[in-house]
Amino acid sequence: MINVILTVLAPLIGGVVYGIERVVKARMQKRVGPPLLQPFYDFFKLMDKRPIMIHSLHALMGIMYFIAEWFALAVLLLGNDLLIAVFFHVIAVLALVIGASSVRSPYSVLGALRELMHMISYEPLMVLMVVALYLVVGSFDIRDVLNYEGYPILEIPLVFFAFLLTIPMMLQKSPFDVAEAHQEIIGGPEIEYSGPFYEALYTGKWIEYIYVFTFVFLFGGSHYWLGILLVVLAFLFINLLDNSSARLDFRTMVKFAWSVLIPMAALNVILLALWQ
Amino acid sequence: MGALVTLNIVLPWIAALIIYLAKKDVVTNVLTFLMLPLLSIIAYLAYIQPHPVLIETPKWVDLLITVYDFGLLAYFFYQGIVRKNSLIAILASIQLIFLVIVLLMMNHSLTPNLYIDDVTLMFYLIVAIVGVPIAIFATKYMDYGEKGKHSFVAIVVWFLGVMNFAVSVNNIEWFFALFETTTLASYIMIGFRGDKEAVNNSNLALWMNQIGGIAILLALMVFIKINGVYHFTDLLKNPSLISMAALGFLSLSALVKGAQMPFHKWLLGAMVAPTPVSAILHSATMVKIAPYLILRISPIIKGTLLAKLLIITTGYVFVVAAVIALSQDNFKKILAYSTISLLGLMMLGAAVGTPVAVTASLVLIIFHAFAKGFLFVEAGVLEKVFHVKYINQMRRLIERAPLTLMFIFFGFLNMTFVPFGTFIGKWMMIEEVSNFLQHGSYILLIIYVGAGSAFLSILYMKVLGISVRKAHGIEKINFVKLPATFNFVSVWYYVWLLSMTIFIAPFIADFVVPIAASIAGQADIYATGLTLHMYDSTLYFWQILGALILIFLIHALPYFVKFKADVVHPYNCGEVFPRHMETWNFECIARYEGYFVAFSIALFIMVVVLGGGLL
Repeated sequence: MINVILTVLAPLIGGVVYGIERVVKARMQKRVGPPLLQPFYDFFKLMDKRPIMIHSLHALMGIMYFIAEWFALAVLLLGNDLLIAVFFHVIAVLALVIGASSVRSPYSVLGALRELMHMISYEPLMVLMVVALYLVVGSFDIRDVLNYEGYPILEIPLVFFAFLLTIPMMLQKSPFDVAEAHQEIIGGPEIEYSGPFYEALYTGKWIEYIYVFTFVFLFGGSHYWLGILLVVLAFLFINLLDNSSARLDFRTMVKFAWSVLIPMAALNVILLALWQ
Repeated sequence: MGALVTLNIVLPWIAALIIYLAKKDVVTNVLTFLMLPLLSIIAYLAYIQPHPVLIETPKWVDLLITVYDFGLLAYFFYQGIVRKNSLIAILASIQLIFLVIVLLMMNHSLTPNLYIDDVTLMFYLIVAIVGVPIAIFATKYMDYGEKGKHSFVAIVVWFLGVMNFAVSVNNIEWFFALFETTTLASYIMIGFRGDKEAVNNSNLALWMNQIGGIAILLALMVFIKINGVYHFTDLLKNPSLISMAALGFLSLSALVKGAQMPFHKWLLGAMVAPTPVSAILHSATMVKIAPYLILRISPIIKGTLLAKLLIITTGYVFVVAAVIALSQDNFKKILAYSTISLLGLMMLGAAVGTPVAVTASLVLIIFHAFAKGFLFVEAGVLEKVFHVKYINQMRRLIERAPLTLMFIFFGFLNMTFVPFGTFIGKWMMIEEVSNFLQHGSYILLIIYVGAGSAFLSILYMKVLGISVRKAHGIEKINFVKLPATFNFVSVWYYVWLLSMTIFIAPFIADFVVPIAASIAGQADIYATGLTLHMYDSTLYFWQILGALILIFLIHALPYFVKFKADVVHPYNCGEVFPRHMETWNFECIARYEGYFVAFSIALFIMVVVLGGGLL
């Protein structure tokens, strides 16, 4: 039941999460920050703006990104196979990238290409993480993971750690926010969107929060308190990292993912498989 | 059954002969088009017959094939002399000597020479449904300023017959003859245009594939010497006694035929030929012999060191070919690299050899055939109608060639995305392999599959990104009128892919799983309605349909949706935006190509030496 609610209300909950994040970030910087519901005020303001677009394809892809992201979340929460949910996420990336590269704007196109670099950094790791969870639980079914008696985090700590460092790549946080890079390429894929179409993209990003943190939650197994704890800690850690680090080059990101994170996760998986 | 099989094999040969001799437009067009219903129906009739069956052949056929073998090798030798290519001549003469030795060693066997099982019948269907439309496409393609239309179409049709024959044989010596015939066919087709580049590339294809021929002959010698058998069915009778060295050689020939690195150059060279050649080589025929061969021996090599080394090698090629493809700028070359990459995955599945992995491999073979045939046909349309060969010429295709771009978009999506066949293949592979992670080679496999599909996805997205780019207002969408033949072939593939994807669950459960069962045993895959189940995992129909709708909207909707909003130029942070924009060419990867190939050579040697147990 809770998964249906979570799926249906994902944009709302994601918005609240994003609001919390902005407050947390502000407090970390000793600012007061915006009100909690600021994302929704933004929403109403953006919806009220005059719709402007470069061309229909571009605008449409923004909306498709939102829908695909939501659908990927539905597959994750309502389906029963984690691996399929990982691959569904690629459709959202497809919409984003096609949209961003469909305009002749250097920042947008550069952002789209960097988005692809993001994908080769986190995609294999997501697959490995799901396989690691399978190894622990013995099933790809999300319900089985959530009914697992043990503590997945204790059996695959390195995988969790690797995933923790992958979250900035997925959520566009420093030091791996290379595709958005606001000070450098002014938001990358989202620069040419405005008004309601930008809102679609913006909301899609909120849903991505839920998508990512659901995976974090899974590491708690049937101990929901642990899952929630992990989510909160991961959330704080990501924001701390975001606040305290400078952006890295995209090459560094890919290299880091491929030479540190993936081997680390693979090592954990092999050791666990041997130990079992 | 015997008659149907004979028809399947002989009909294309006869049609090809008539087309070649008649040299008339009407004959060529009508006969090629007729092959589609004829071959499809015959293949289907054969499929519903009881199988597997062994078919006896008259003695004279055996003799004929042996004579033909010598004739073929003599022809290769002659070509080597004429073309002043000593490598071809030397390889041909080595094969001649080996063939004589094999024939001397061979004792009479009572096992019939034709073996028709599920895999064979599946290939008949693929050849009929995927292969023939390419010949139909060629009849129009060759009208666009190409010489020798009739002989070209004749060769294409003949090739289909050769492929049908190659997958029906049981006798490995016959298989060698057919293997070499496909080499001959590709040699003629690649060199068809007759210019310098074509000649060079056809030479390359010839000598590389001859190495595969030598490997088969070596395998034959070892089989006969150690086991005294030379039929596929005899090999399967007592798998534990079969010589690993011979199997290693057979796998080697598969790797060569399947254009796996370092032998990938010949398939890339095929792009200088008219596009239908690439289409036919990549989709229904020729390279598919490679996974076919591994599937044949997969019950024997399952779990051996050879299988593990094959997994490592082909998996490596799967990733590296996708990576190298990123740095290419020729559209056909990109497609060729993605074929090499996916062939690796097909062989990998066959080498893993468990029921689910074999199913995955078959699914990949089927869907890849359709998608690649489709993509190459579209590449041919781009080349002839829109004069586009390189991806930087693909700018604004969305306005210039909307339908063709939509088809290409769909073909690309078919290669990696949910819910299409290739995705299902990968999904099955990952879930299956997760069961035996204790072995290092399998965890490597998961990284391979995860990484390889990510690389292929970014490759396709990069190419698509270029073709949809437009400064502002995609308004002048120009629906160019294409020849009816082109439209027919495109729509044919499109409809097949779409309907197979919608019914993918029953398709896999009722069609592919029984085929896999005949090789590796019953896989735990079944369908309830349109939902696919595998072990405990489920791919619900709402997921398939949802993904299909999403993908459909993404690839087709831009032509129909017009938002009522004000159109502006890109904001671009207020800066001036350039007239032209390039895309990353991934030059940094091209620099490492040498290393990639060198490493693949090392793996290749490992397969032969360690996998074959020669040491």
